[in-house]
Amino acid sequence: MTQEPLGRSLADFTVELDVYSGPYEWLLALILKDELEIFEVPLRELVESYLLARKPDAANGLERDTDFAGSAAALILLKSRTLSPALDADAEGMEDEPLSPEELAERLTQYLKVRRAAEHLKERFDANAGHYTSAHTIPPRQGRLSVKQDRVVLAARQAFSRLIEPPVRHLGPITVTLQELAGIIRTALSGGPVSYERLTSDMDRMNSAVAFAAALSLAQEGALTLAQHEPFGPLTLEPSK
Amino acid sequence: MSGQVPAYLVEAVLFVSARPIGLPDLRSATGLTDEELLSALSGLRERYAPGSSGIVLREVAGGYLLSTNPACAEAVERFRREARPTPLSGAAHEVLACALYLGPLTRGAISRVRGVNSDAVVRSLIERHLLAEVGTDREAPGVPALLGVTEEFLSATGASSPEDFPPVEALVTQEELARVRERLVSPDASLSDAASEPS
Repeated sequence: MTQEPLGRSLADFTVELDVYSGPYEWLLALILKDELEIFEVPLRELVESYLLARKPDAANGLERDTDFAGSAAALILLKSRTLSPALDADAEGMEDEPLSPEELAERLTQYLKVRRAAEHLKERFDANAGHYTSAHTIPPRQGRLSVKQDRVVLAARQAFSRLIEPPVRHLGPITVTLQELAGIIRTALSGGPVSYERLTSDMDRMNSAVAFAAALSLAQEGALTLAQHEPFGPLTLEPSK
Repeated sequence: MSGQVPAYLVEAVLFVSARPIGLPDLRSATGLTDEELLSALSGLRERYAPGSSGIVLREVAGGYLLSTNPACAEAVERFRREARPTPLSGAAHEVLACALYLGPLTRGAISRVRGVNSDAVVRSLIERHLLAEVGTDREAPGVPALLGVTEEFLSATGASSPEDFPPVEALVTQEELARVRERLVSPDASLSDAASEPS
C-alpha cells in the first residue's frame, strides 16, 4: 500500500469542468493565485465529481473526505465573498438604505441591457476568432513616443499605492476591554449556563462583538464551553465541568 | 519603387504591421493621395477576399489590418505552437459591455451595475489588453481610474469603432423591460420572480 504524501490526500483527485480540467490541487492553486475566477467554478459539479471519485474504503478515506470538505467549504466562502459587492459605500456612492421597487426596477432593467449587450459581444468575439496578424513588431521610433502626464501619474499611483484601509467610521468607540467583559461573563456563568443573546442584550454592536471575542478567548482557555445545537441557532455559554 | 502599382505599396506596409493602420499613416508611409489609397485598398479587398485567400484584409479599430483567414487558424496555431486564447467568460463579456456602452467608468461603477464585485474580471481583461485605464474620475473621492475598451477589443470584435455596435436599446425588447418593471413596481409584484428575471 502506498502512502499519500503528508497533507496531500487529494493528490490523485482530478476534475473535469468546462473552465478547467486537471488535478484538483492545481485547481485550488489557480484559484488562490487569481489565475482562475472562483465564480466561474461550478462548486456543485465539483462536489458531484468528488462523490463519484470518492474512495470510502481507502486507508485514508476519512482523511480524503475531511480534506475535501474543508477545501470545498473554503471555496464556498471565497465564492460568496467574491460575489459580495464589497465596495466602500461612501466612496462609491453606494447606499445602505434598501432600494425602492422603482430603483430596483431601474437597476434590473439596466442590468438586463448589459446582459443582452454581453450576449451580443460574445457573438462578435466568436465570429471574429482565429484572425492572426503579422508577428513582426515595429520598434517604436524615437521622437514619436509621447507619454501623457495623466498616464504617468496613473502609473505612479498604481506602483506606489497602498491597500485601502477598510472604512471604520460606522463603528462606535470600544468602551470596555476584553478583560472587563471576561469578568462580566465569568460572573454571569456563576449562575449556570447563559445565552449569548441574553448576555449581550444591553450592549451595542461593537461591545457585543467584543463580548463574543472574550467568550471565544475564555473557551480557548477552557474556562467555558460554547454550545450551538443547530446552525445559526442560539449560542449558549456553559461553565466548564 | 517607381513604377510600382500603388496597391503594392499599401500591401507592403500593411504586411509588416501587427496593428491596424489608419488612412493618415498609410498616406504618410506610401506618399499616395487619398484617391489612390482608396483605390488600392479596394483592389486589396478583392485580392484578399475570405473565400479565396489565406490572408484577409480587415477594416477594424479605425484602420486596415492584414490577418490570416480564420479558416486557416488551426494550421497557424499548429505552426506557432500556441493554443487559441481561452474564450472569455460570461462575466468578462458583461464587464466589456459595461465599458463599451456605459464607459468610460470606474471599477466601482461596473460592480454597481453588475451587482457583484468585478475587480478580478477587470484585472484579467486588462491583462488581455481588452480593457484599459483611459483616465481618472477627478470628481470622485480617491480619483479612481476610468476604464474603457481598447483597440485590441475593437480588432477582436471586428469593429471599426465603438459606434459600430448596435445601440443597447436595440438589443433588448421593450416587452422584456416592461415585464421587469411590472413585476417589481406593481403592488402585487413578486420580488422573487423579478429577481430571477435577468439571471
